[in-house]
Amino acid sequence: MSRVYKITVKVKRFDPDTKKTWVEDYELEAGRILRFTDVFRKINNELDPSLAWNSSCEHGQCGSCAVRVNGKPLLACELLVENAINLFRTAVFTIEPLTIAPVVRDLIVDFDKAYERVNRAKPYLIDPSPIPEGESEYRISPRELERYVEATRCINCFCCAEACISSHKNFLGPNSLMASIVRLMDSREQAREERLELLYGEQGVYRCHTSMACSFVCPKEIDVAHFIALAKAGRFKAKGMK
Amino acid sequence: MGNTLRIGSTMNCDVLIIGAGGAGLRCAAAIFEKKPGTRIIALTKVSHPQKSHTVTAQGGMAAVDPRDPLDKPIYHMFDTWKGSDCTADQNIIKKIIDASWEQIAWLENHGMHFSRNENGRLSKRTFGGMTLNFGESSAMRAVFEADRTGKGIMDTVWGEAMKGGISFLNQSIATELIFRGDRCIGAIVFMEKEGEFAAILSKATVFATGGNGQVFRITTNCRQNTGDGLAVALQEGLPIMDPEAVQFHPTGIVGPGILASETLRSVGGILRNKDMERFMERYAPKMKELAPRDMVSRAIETEIREGRGILSPDHHIQHVWIDLRHLPDYVHEEQIPEVTSFFKKFVAIDPRKELCPVRPSNHYQMGGLPTNEFGEVQKTPQELIHGLFAVGECAAASFHGFNRLGSNSILELITMGRFVGERVVEYLEEPLDALPSGAGDRSSSQFSRFMEAKGKDSLGRIRDAMQAVMTEKVSVFRAEKGLLEAIEALQELKDRADRASLSSSSYTMNQELIQRWELDNLLRISMIIAQSALRRKESRGGHFREDFPERKDDFNYHTLASMSEYGKVRFGKRAIDMSLFESRGEHYEKFDMIERRY
Repeated sequence: MSRVYKITVKVKRFDPDTKKTWVEDYELEAGRILRFTDVFRKINNELDPSLAWNSSCEHGQCGSCAVRVNGKPLLACELLVENAINLFRTAVFTIEPLTIAPVVRDLIVDFDKAYERVNRAKPYLIDPSPIPEGESEYRISPRELERYVEATRCINCFCCAEACISSHKNFLGPNSLMASIVRLMDSREQAREERLELLYGEQGVYRCHTSMACSFVCPKEIDVAHFIALAKAGRFKAKGMK
Repeated sequence: MGNTLRIGSTMNCDVLIIGAGGAGLRCAAAIFEKKPGTRIIALTKVSHPQKSHTVTAQGGMAAVDPRDPLDKPIYHMFDTWKGSDCTADQNIIKKIIDASWEQIAWLENHGMHFSRNENGRLSKRTFGGMTLNFGESSAMRAVFEADRTGKGIMDTVWGEAMKGGISFLNQSIATELIFRGDRCIGAIVFMEKEGEFAAILSKATVFATGGNGQVFRITTNCRQNTGDGLAVALQEGLPIMDPEAVQFHPTGIVGPGILASETLRSVGGILRNKDMERFMERYAPKMKELAPRDMVSRAIETEIREGRGILSPDHHIQHVWIDLRHLPDYVHEEQIPEVTSFFKKFVAIDPRKELCPVRPSNHYQMGGLPTNEFGEVQKTPQELIHGLFAVGECAAASFHGFNRLGSNSILELITMGRFVGERVVEYLEEPLDALPSGAGDRSSSQFSRFMEAKGKDSLGRIRDAMQAVMTEKVSVFRAEKGLLEAIEALQELKDRADRASLSSSSYTMNQELIQRWELDNLLRISMIIAQSALRRKESRGGHFREDFPERKDDFNYHTLASMSEYGKVRFGKRAIDMSLFESRGEHYEKFDMIERRY
C-alpha cells in the first residue's frame, strides 16, 4: 500500500533583489499520498530552505497555495503525488507561480493586487433590505438558497482567473464577477442597479469568451461559468431575478 | 543591509488590530458600527484575511434560538461550565451566551449564508456536550453554514470591515509592542514583502493573533498558527493564562491532520477499534461518540496504547476508524460533503465504502492573554494594560476554562469581537502618543541575531524535534517524568535554534527569516505549556496527568505564567469567577464545582 516515488520538481524561481528568474530542479523521494505542500516543505527541510511558497490551511479551504503544475492552476495542498503522476503521466513536474498578480518571490504572488478586482465587486451586502417585521432574521427558503449556494463556496484562490482566456487587464475575472452575482441572487441585497452596472460594464461579463475554463479548473468544483452564463442571459434585473 | 533593520516608516491610526481573522474583523466591524470613519489598520501574517484559520471552522456555532420551545440559555451556560471542567469564568459564560442569538442574527443580517430549514429559518444540529435540562438529552443548538461555518463568518466580517474602510497590512507580523508607561500605544511590525520594519502608533491595540497548534506534530491548525501574539506578549513581561489547557480534537484525519469535524459524529459516525468494537460504549455509556472532546481523545489514545489501534502504512501513525458507511447518501451529500471529500482528496479513501483513519490532533488553546469581560488585557488580576486588548483564540477571558465545547469557539469570536470593539471605541478620544526612543530596538537586534548566526543546524529539523517532543510528552497524556524530559529537551532546542544560520541574507519576502522568528515563538510557547503542565498536579479538562488522574479542589484557579527569560517561568493565580453560583438564582446549584461525567 505504501509506495514511494522518485520525482523531479522544476520550480520557476524569482529573486526580487536581483530581479533574476530561473528554473531550479529538485529531485526527491515522496510517498504516494504526500501532498505538494508537503513536497515543498520537504524541499525546504532537506534540500533548499530558501525556496519561498505560500500556504495557510493546507486543506483546500483558504486558496493560498494556488500554483501552476505542468501548466494547470491548482491548489498544491490538494494534489497528492500519486494522483499527480496519474494525472500528468509523468514524474517530472514544472511548478510556476500564478500570473494574475506580480510575483513577490519564487511561488509567492502579491495577493493584494489579485484581490483588487474582488474588492471592486464589493463582496458584501451593499444595501441590505429591511428585516421583515417581527423577525430578527430574513427567511430564505432552501430552494432559493440552492440557486446560488454553490457560488458562496468560492475561496478566491484565483485558479479560475488564471485559466481564463480573456485578458486579465480588461476583464474583472470569473471569481470577482461571481462575488457580485451571488449577491444579485441573494434576496437580502437591494443595491441591484449598482451591481448590474458593474456586471454589464466595461470590464464585465461580456468580456468572457465562454471557454468555461473557470469551471474546469475550480478546485471547489463550482460551475463558475454557469453563474456567468446566467448574467449573460440577462437573468438579473433591477427588481429581482426573473 | 544595516539600514533595513531600522524603523523605515511610522504610521498613525486610531486602532491597530494584530491578526485579521474572525475575532479581529468582528471587532473592526463593531468599531465601525459605533464610530464610522475610525481609522483601523489590521495586520495579518497570511497573504489575505480570507486565508485566516477561521475559515477552517466547519460544524457550527452554538446559540439558543429564543423561538426554541425546549432549549434555554441556562442549559447552554451549564453545558459550557460543565464542559470547561468548572474552570471557565461564569461572568463571561453569562455575557457571551446572553448575547449569542443576537450575534447569529447580526451575521445573518450582514449576509452570511446559513443553512436553512423548510420554513426558511436557520437549520440547527447537535454537537458533543450540548444538552437540554442539565444533561438530560441532546440539544439542537448549533446553527451552521453547511460544513464551512467559519468561512461564512470570515467572508461576512471581512466584507463588513472592508465596507467600513479598514486598511489591511497583509503578510506582516507584529514583533514588539510600544509602551508609554503602562499604556500600550502601538506596535513595531515587520512587513514581509517590503522586508522593512515600521512603527504603527495607535490609541488602542487589539491582539487577535489566534492559536499555536504548530507546537505539535499532529495538528488541525494552519501553518501560520505559531503562537506569535502570546510569544510577543511574554517578551513584554505579560502573563499567559492557563497555557497548559490545550485541546486535542479526537478525530484528526491521519496524515495531514485535517479536522474531521464533530459533525461526523453528530450525524451518526461510529468510532471503532481494530476489532471493529464500538469502544465509546465503554468510556461514555450515555453520550458515546458525542461525549466531550477530551474524553473521546483519551478513549482513542487508550485504545491505541492498549494495542487496539491500526497502523497507517503511509504515515506510520497509529489510529482508530470512524465508520460512516451506514449513513444514507443524502447525509454524505448534504450534511458532510466537504468533510467526506477531505478523505477522498487527502488520503484517497471513499467514506461511503471504506473505514476512515482518525486520531487525536492538537486543535485549540483554551488559554491565552488574560482579559476581563471587555477584552482588556490584565497585567495582574487587579491591573490592566491601558489600551491593550485581546480577543479570539489568543485571549482567555475565560469562556472555555480547561476544555472547550465544540461550536463554542466561533461563538466566542463574534460575541467577544463585538464587546471588545465597543470597549475600544471608548479609547478613541485620547491623543496619539509620539514614538518613544528605543522603540524597535529589541526587534532589530533579534532579527540581526537571526541573520548573523553562523551554525549549521536546520530550522526544519529543530522544529520537527520540538513538535515530536511536545506530541510525545505534553499532549493527551502527561506525567512528571515526561514533562521534565520535555523541558530539558526544549532548553537544548532553544540553544540549537540560537545557533542556526539562515541561507539567504535578503530581507525581502524571506520566508526562512519568518520561520526563524516563528521557531523562537513556538519554543517559548512550548516551554510555558510544559512548565505549567508540570506545576498543575491534577487532571482537568484537556490537561490530563497520568500521575494525578483526578481533579483537585486545591487547583480551582487559573494559572498565570510569565517568562521574560527563556525557561524561567514565574507563576501566579487568578480566581475562577463563580458569579452564577454566588448569585443564588434559579438553578444556581448547577454552577457549583460539579463532577464532570457524561
